[in-house]
Amino acid sequence: MRTVRLISAGAAASALVLGLAACGDDGGGSEDGTTTIKLVAADYGDKASNASKVYWDDVVKRFEAKNEDIKVDVQVINWNDIDTKVKTMIQGGNVPDILQTGGYADKVADDLLYEADEVLSPKTKSNLIESFAKAGEVDGTQYGIPFVSSARLMFYNKEVLDKAGVDVPQTWDDVAAAAQKIKDEKAAEIPYALPLGPEEAQGESMIWELGNGGGYTDAEGNYTIDSEQNVETFEWLRENLVDPGLTYDNPATTDRKTAFADFAAGKVGMLNGHPTLIQMAKDGGVDYEVAPIPGKDGPLDSTLGVADWMMAFKDGGKQEEIKKFLDFAYAKENTLKFDEMYNLMPVTTDTLEEMQSNGKHKDLEPFFEVLPSAEFYPLGNTSWDVVSAEIKKSGGKAVSDDPGDVLGELQQKAEDTAADMGE
Amino acid sequence: MPVTVKEPAAGTGPGPGGRKTGPQRRRRGGIARLGPLPWIGPAVLLIVVVVLWPIYELIRTSFLNVSISGFVRGSAGTEKYRQLFDESGFGSVLTMTVVWTVAVVGVTMLVSLGLAQLFNKPFPGRTVTRWALIAPWAASVLMTAIGFRWMLDQTAGVLNTLMTDLGLIDGPKDWLGDPATAWPWMMFVAVFVSLPFTTYTLLAGLQTIPHEVYEAARIDGAGARQTYWRVTVPLLRPAFLVGFVINLINVFNSFPIIWGMTQGGPGSDTATTTVFMYQLKSTDIGESAAMSVVNFAMVVVLVLIFLKVSRWNKEDA
Repeated sequence: MRTVRLISAGAAASALVLGLAACGDDGGGSEDGTTTIKLVAADYGDKASNASKVYWDDVVKRFEAKNEDIKVDVQVINWNDIDTKVKTMIQGGNVPDILQTGGYADKVADDLLYEADEVLSPKTKSNLIESFAKAGEVDGTQYGIPFVSSARLMFYNKEVLDKAGVDVPQTWDDVAAAAQKIKDEKAAEIPYALPLGPEEAQGESMIWELGNGGGYTDAEGNYTIDSEQNVETFEWLRENLVDPGLTYDNPATTDRKTAFADFAAGKVGMLNGHPTLIQMAKDGGVDYEVAPIPGKDGPLDSTLGVADWMMAFKDGGKQEEIKKFLDFAYAKENTLKFDEMYNLMPVTTDTLEEMQSNGKHKDLEPFFEVLPSAEFYPLGNTSWDVVSAEIKKSGGKAVSDDPGDVLGELQQKAEDTAADMGE
Repeated sequence: MPVTVKEPAAGTGPGPGGRKTGPQRRRRGGIARLGPLPWIGPAVLLIVVVVLWPIYELIRTSFLNVSISGFVRGSAGTEKYRQLFDESGFGSVLTMTVVWTVAVVGVTMLVSLGLAQLFNKPFPGRTVTRWALIAPWAASVLMTAIGFRWMLDQTAGVLNTLMTDLGLIDGPKDWLGDPATAWPWMMFVAVFVSLPFTTYTLLAGLQTIPHEVYEAARIDGAGARQTYWRVTVPLLRPAFLVGFVINLINVFNSFPIIWGMTQGGPGSDTATTTVFMYQLKSTDIGESAAMSVVNFAMVVVLVLIFLKVSRWNKEDA
């Protein structure tokens, strides 16, 4: 009996703690005169052939050929796991030197990062598009280095809208009316795709909130998640899209990738999307078109812009090596290659000019147009990453439960976190 | 009661301790003085490294203030526990964990009991069906969960198509999006993957019951029902108990099924405490560790109850 007890107690305990046990060896350090810098990056690919690992390995190979005393250790992690893994690395003292992921400000709060000026040459820094460089600032100092960007527009399936006999919607009421028509005519399984699942609830929510003059913060950067406009937005969504069955049955558990896949399969009438959807729709043979995103009383003046970020950690003290690598990685040939590989939008002036003028990116033109005026998440708030994670988890429930309660609770958590971070 | 666990507990029998009085003692004095330590040393070390140390780290972390970037900002006192108990979903997560554990273990034990008795009787094709039952066990649980998630998918799921074609439902449903339908499906999958182990445990138990006992019962004039309740059930108790407790701990800690099918969503409406712990990890490691400690305490209670019950079982025998 004692053996059984030991086994079950042991099994139980190890099963429990497995998720939290953090271990890892400390990479880097210099032996034989070379310095190894550790690069951790997110994977933008959706299959083996276009995995970001392929891109980074190539960049590193060319970089190492030019800089024989520097080795770069590349680790590419998929989007679902990268935040957790990086967190574990930092907690375990195995800090990367360079990180490319979705957010940066939380690391600024703990004073982990080099300033952008310290790890970018003036030439590279001045090449960054200004609005993005600005979005990388916390209290006037730039830490986040933009890496790629995208903006959102409404995609619609032309065949579906034709079959239902509706024009391209301009306002929320148009959207609801068009969706109802699509449903009545059985032109598409999902008239309007509203993905509020954990993958990107914070993005879809913000797009809709912008349509009603709302958003996550006020001009001073204080959270306004449960503002009247925002609550009204979700009430409208529930009453006009969710309850009448014009979108998914359970938006709170439907992820963006599902919505994109359904659109590419011709099952969706309209949805908000970013340039990745262009290729997906083409591959699926969907006759699509893009249009400005409808707001409550008319199309949005400024849509949601999203940037992903590069940042350099102070922990390893490899400032010079990091600087060399970043200058190399931000050269036009590399950024252009990456942006074209994934149909993403550039964050550097020379690459933007190239992409706008080389005639290969007609599809992206509507996106280039809205990019300069795009609105960002409150990235400069060091608490944003926590708040964003909370919105991802439960924000979608605002269209099934009482929006006031759901948003109120998120607001409370946001305020607590902000206070905790000393904002 | 010949089957009841009667063998001496490990360490109290004629183990290394018995050698102390032997003639070899004087010659190998150095090692002998250490007693059984050199033999159990590696095992003890293993337990310290993989069991005790993580538990210590776990408890320590639950009192730390760890920022979202993973940076340790110092002590948090009991703040993380307060935050945990204040979470709006905490109460319902606890309730659903109990419902989940009781329902899954209960149904598993009942169905397994039936299956084990079926497999204990000779019938054509028994070998094949016995092998077939191993399948859910052999497949990775996560794989099974993801398989079911896709089979239940609203637009592409084969089970949805099947049920629609059979006229069981009006049209494809988003089973896993709504907690009210997601829970029963996840419980179904949990029972499905728990059946093989439990059935085989009970089958092994059934096969240890000697024929003579049944013969004696028949000679005494016991009917089928009487034989079952008076002979089979009591003699099966040790196997049943082992199956029950291991299932209890397994199901309570079950992570891959829920994570693979709903990730605990929407919000934490389909989360058990284990899944909830993992969800908290994305916002606050300290609070997540606090959840783990609470979870751990609950497992310890389960184990203590098990020890109590198993001792009662011994005395009864």
